[in-house]
Amino acid sequence: MGYIGGIIILLCINAIAVMGVSLLTGFTGIFTLGHAAYMALGAYTAGILTVEHGVHWFLAIMAGGLLAMIVAYLIGIPTLKLMGDYYAIASIGLVESIRLILENWQSVTRGARGYPGIEGFTTLPVAVAFFFVLAIIMVNLINSRYGRAFKACRDDYLAASLLGYNTARYRVLSLAVSGFYCGVAGALLAGFMSFIQPVMFDMMKSTELTSMVVFGGLGSLSGTLLASVIITLVTELFRPISQYRMLIYGGVLVAIMVLRPEGIMGSKELWNLRRKR
Amino acid sequence: MGTLAQQLINGISLGSVYALIAVGYSLVYSILLFSNFAHGGFLVIGGYICYYTLTALGNNIWVAGGLSLLGAGIAAVLTERIAYKPIRERTNITLYLLIASLGMSIVIENIFVIVAGGRFRALPPVIPTNPVHLFGLTTTSAFDLLSLVVAFVFLTALQLFIVKSKWGLAIRAAAFDLKTAGLMGINVNMLISIVFFVAGVLAAVGGIFLSVRYTLYPQLGGITIKAFVAAVVGGLGSLPGAVVGSLILGLAEMLTAGFISSQLRDLVVFSLLVITLLVKPTGLFGKKPTEKV
Repeated sequence: MGYIGGIIILLCINAIAVMGVSLLTGFTGIFTLGHAAYMALGAYTAGILTVEHGVHWFLAIMAGGLLAMIVAYLIGIPTLKLMGDYYAIASIGLVESIRLILENWQSVTRGARGYPGIEGFTTLPVAVAFFFVLAIIMVNLINSRYGRAFKACRDDYLAASLLGYNTARYRVLSLAVSGFYCGVAGALLAGFMSFIQPVMFDMMKSTELTSMVVFGGLGSLSGTLLASVIITLVTELFRPISQYRMLIYGGVLVAIMVLRPEGIMGSKELWNLRRKR
Repeated sequence: MGTLAQQLINGISLGSVYALIAVGYSLVYSILLFSNFAHGGFLVIGGYICYYTLTALGNNIWVAGGLSLLGAGIAAVLTERIAYKPIRERTNITLYLLIASLGMSIVIENIFVIVAGGRFRALPPVIPTNPVHLFGLTTTSAFDLLSLVVAFVFLTALQLFIVKSKWGLAIRAAAFDLKTAGLMGINVNMLISIVFFVAGVLAAVGGIFLSVRYTLYPQLGGITIKAFVAAVVGGLGSLPGAVVGSLILGLAEMLTAGFISSQLRDLVVFSLLVITLLVKPTGLFGKKPTEKV
């Protein structure tokens, strides 16, 4: 499979996670700093199920996604009912709590040193297939009744609720779906690396996911995917000067918000660039 | 009994340091309605200025402390001018401000990673940390008592500023409605700069005490998340709420560390957040954040 194959798998995994964050931040307008927590949940669920209970990897990935979805739903109910930054703060709390639990629950997660020996089930075809299926579902979701409701919550929640949308319900729904995507991405990552560690899913990973969405454009799925490809490749190319990477990330985030908050693509999609013009 | 009293004092002392940070964060939230994630950066800037002045100019805590407060205040004002002002003048979408503040927090943290290096630094021993016996009942550290007193002084000064001064009145008006306050002739840009300056100064005080307690490193700003949680527990945007929330958090954290397990202290903090959001989402002193349609 080699180096190139590995990078393509990594691209697919990142793209799946980023689609999840894009739905929440880009299309529903909710800021998150904790989506690495859902990836961690997916990764550890899939790892533990395949290694200790001999579950088939496909079911394990689905279980990882579902657990992340349930946790996202439960966190969403109290925090997203309210306007304000409650979810943003809770998301940081979530990512820290999950890390603490993973590090201290030795008997199940084997602690901070990591969980080894996961079967390498994420082969190139598996990763690509998961990416395409989830991408098609996401495109359809965004263009559906639900997608329009999410965007309405983002653009003007007051007007949306006047039109009879239960905005809280749609916000929680969006979070749950995005949790599912990140859970699946985490499970695929576990199957790709064969070894997972709590530190892989820290605040930095969450920040990276949110940055990709911002770079690509809030409200553009294809822009977000493009950004995740560019950033994943740039990260690979510039490994030698990685200490400047985060500084540049931060600077670019501020610059985009100040100069062009719509990101690379704005709210346009690649496939209707010409038609819109 | 001795241990309990000792943990209570530790908890209130830690809580009072959180309060310094939480109040600044809450002040900014009450005016601009967004969580300034760069707030932790101000604390780190304060800590490093204090460290470098102490090592360069000899151990004079008054000079170092003064410079550190001033520096962090100015850094906060600059952050607002560079990153937030252009955004808030163009749009009222707070998501953009949140993202910009995340960017600024990454920038500040990594400037120190590159310039100062990632290693842990101990402040020169200018703040006494020797044990003190309180009325023969219990033993505590002079540092804990000192941070409690200093935090109390700064919070009282802030309270006087908000209640008695003209700008304090303006801040209270802006917290109620920024736009209307602007229409009534308040210089909104000046007001926001003052708010950020005050937030930066208070964060620097917290930063100095935290770097004595935990040593100084670029990621020290991550501790602000506890101040954010404290602000939510007390009620987002409410200053008395931020103080009470911080004290509750400090106590919960220290009592857990003392009597249950020190690894669980952070988990207790976040469970407190979840419980608050479930039971009384507006916090202890918060106003209702939802609008009736």
